[in-house]
Amino acid sequence: MLEITNTRMNHLIDPSLHIWGWEIPVYLFAGGMVAGMMLILGFFFFKGREKEVDCVCTNLPLLSIIILSLGMFALFLDLEYKLHVFRFYTTFIITSPMSWGSWILILVYPVLAVSLLLRLPKFVSKLIPKLEQYSNKLKSNRKLVKSVGILNMVLGASLGIYTGVLLSTFQARPLWNSPILALLFLVSGLSVSAAFVHMIAKSVYERELLAKADNAFLVTELFVIFLFIIGMVTSTKIHQDAIALFLGGQYTAVFWIFVVLMGIIIPLIIQSLAISHKIKHTPLAPIFVIIGGLILRFVIVSAGQYSSWY
Amino acid sequence: MIAPLFKFGYFGDEFSLIIAVLIGIGFGFFLERAGFGSSTKLAAQFYFYDMTVLKVMFTAIVTAMVGLLYFGWLGILDLTLVSVNQTYLVSQIVGGLILGVGFVIGGYCPGTSVVACATGKKDAMVFVLGVLFGIFVFGELYSYIFEPIMDLSAMGRVLLPDVLHLSYGLVVFLVVVMAIGAFILAEYVEKKLVLKKGK
Amino acid sequence: MDQSLINDKPTKYMNPYLAGIGLGLVLLASFVVMGRGLGASGAFSTLIAAGTNIVSPEHAKSNAYFSEYLGLNLSETLKDWLLFEVIGVVIGGFVSGLFAGRIKLKTDKGPNISNGKRYLFAFIGGGLMGVGAKIARGCTSGQALTGGASLAFGSWVFMMMVFAGGYMFAYFIRRQWR
Repeated sequence: MLEITNTRMNHLIDPSLHIWGWEIPVYLFAGGMVAGMMLILGFFFFKGREKEVDCVCTNLPLLSIIILSLGMFALFLDLEYKLHVFRFYTTFIITSPMSWGSWILILVYPVLAVSLLLRLPKFVSKLIPKLEQYSNKLKSNRKLVKSVGILNMVLGASLGIYTGVLLSTFQARPLWNSPILALLFLVSGLSVSAAFVHMIAKSVYERELLAKADNAFLVTELFVIFLFIIGMVTSTKIHQDAIALFLGGQYTAVFWIFVVLMGIIIPLIIQSLAISHKIKHTPLAPIFVIIGGLILRFVIVSAGQYSSWY
Repeated sequence: MIAPLFKFGYFGDEFSLIIAVLIGIGFGFFLERAGFGSSTKLAAQFYFYDMTVLKVMFTAIVTAMVGLLYFGWLGILDLTLVSVNQTYLVSQIVGGLILGVGFVIGGYCPGTSVVACATGKKDAMVFVLGVLFGIFVFGELYSYIFEPIMDLSAMGRVLLPDVLHLSYGLVVFLVVVMAIGAFILAEYVEKKLVLKKGK
Repeated sequence: MDQSLINDKPTKYMNPYLAGIGLGLVLLASFVVMGRGLGASGAFSTLIAAGTNIVSPEHAKSNAYFSEYLGLNLSETLKDWLLFEVIGVVIGGFVSGLFAGRIKLKTDKGPNISNGKRYLFAFIGGGLMGVGAKIARGCTSGQALTGGASLAFGSWVFMMMVFAGGYMFAYFIRRQWR
């Protein structure tokens, strides 16, 4: 025993994992958020809202492209061999979520580009007037628009599931080693994106709809967190030790206060009052949800690396 | 004896921070309910036409004080483990006077300014900047000006019963009587000023 | 634009004695659960100490006052009981204001004073309050309320001095409020 502990002082004895900093949480956050935005965008296209003047679908494709690119850039910064990035695309390993993810991401961009074409923002059509013609041609085919909507929803869901599954397939980190974590990231991504779109939407119908949807997602998120913790507590000793980080360990305060209380419960109260027209819709609740979602990913990624099998 | 729960090790440091937020929520909630998120209401205390500050503060002190006595008497709470502010007469007199002047000029105290910020008062946000600036100046000048007076007349843990040579229970009773007297006086003064205004 | 968050008219304030009892019970809960009272100014000190430490670590560590507030690292410094309590105060005040219909971006002042002057006075008053609270080792929450309830001799002296200072100076500043 003494020998084991002694030799472990040498840092190359144990198989060590690369320590993740801010890049991975930001990437997961961006991925989850864009996934939710694509679901919303797809739903609006499917419902034929692209004909409405004040539909938020004018802004969503471009914003999704920007946010996803920022997230991918963060991921790129985390790569040790940046020049080898193309290797993600020279192979496809069916059991690797990273492989799935890189291919989903490749498909997301063209679909978002077509969506952008469907509802051209004014400054784009001024820049390249020719695009207007294509846009009109596309729009005239209702079935095509519907298909783009479905494509958005399918890819959004895949992206959301992928960002969740990515961590839970890590066998070496007991805290991440739970299928419920994938669900938690998916629901959190949905709540963050619903909050964000609620914040930027101009149409009253869309704002009300998204506030309601966001509240549903937030309640679901609370329930999933409950399941996540119960699942961990009733699992093996190693998992119990991992979840103890949130139940008295060093991530307790930040998790319960900033993620659960300020990121979920407080915005839930504010949005419930807003839906029942007691107060106005303000960016306040969405900002809390977005920050809470970001902190959730930081906490899970950081605490996961703190938990280990030893 | 099982309380204070924290000092008997029922939960750790991390959990105590969650307790801190919950207690803070209660604190902020009642401060706002009482109207302490408004500087005009707070400052009115110093012009006698709205004595809410005195009423709320003394009711709160009496409630907590009687509660402490009761839980101590029940044998649930170990009063010697409840931290009590040490007495440093000079610094408390000087600090209290400066604070009082700051209160009537600024219209808030640190706790109430936080509540006022949360309800959107712009003057409270400026006030908080002022408090932060004041603390920064204090810290920077600490060893030059303030350090010498900080520990003058340090008396340690001294309670009112020790000073008055009366029993703890009797002092609690006297404070309650004094508070009730203050409430009657406050109601009287408020009514008088309202009548004057009415004329 | 109307800067109120609330659609309805604000409700009346709570009866002061009831609010006082509520406040007292919160304070009592703090005594029973934590063995300590409430506070506010300590949280500001932590923020200033942490801020100074970020800008210039050597300067903060050599300062006899700020160094007491510093932990091993930033996260240890910020894991301060009073700071978290004040985060709670923000939430509690906001939620109460939300339900009472009192959340509104505005400047609270007397009728005979401009906004600019009110801000100036608020800053000066805040500055004095900061210095005074640090000299007295606590403000109205940490000294008067908490120390008052635990019958600390110095806190009662402090409380009387706050009222004395306020009433003495009130005359000179009456234009601001009336």
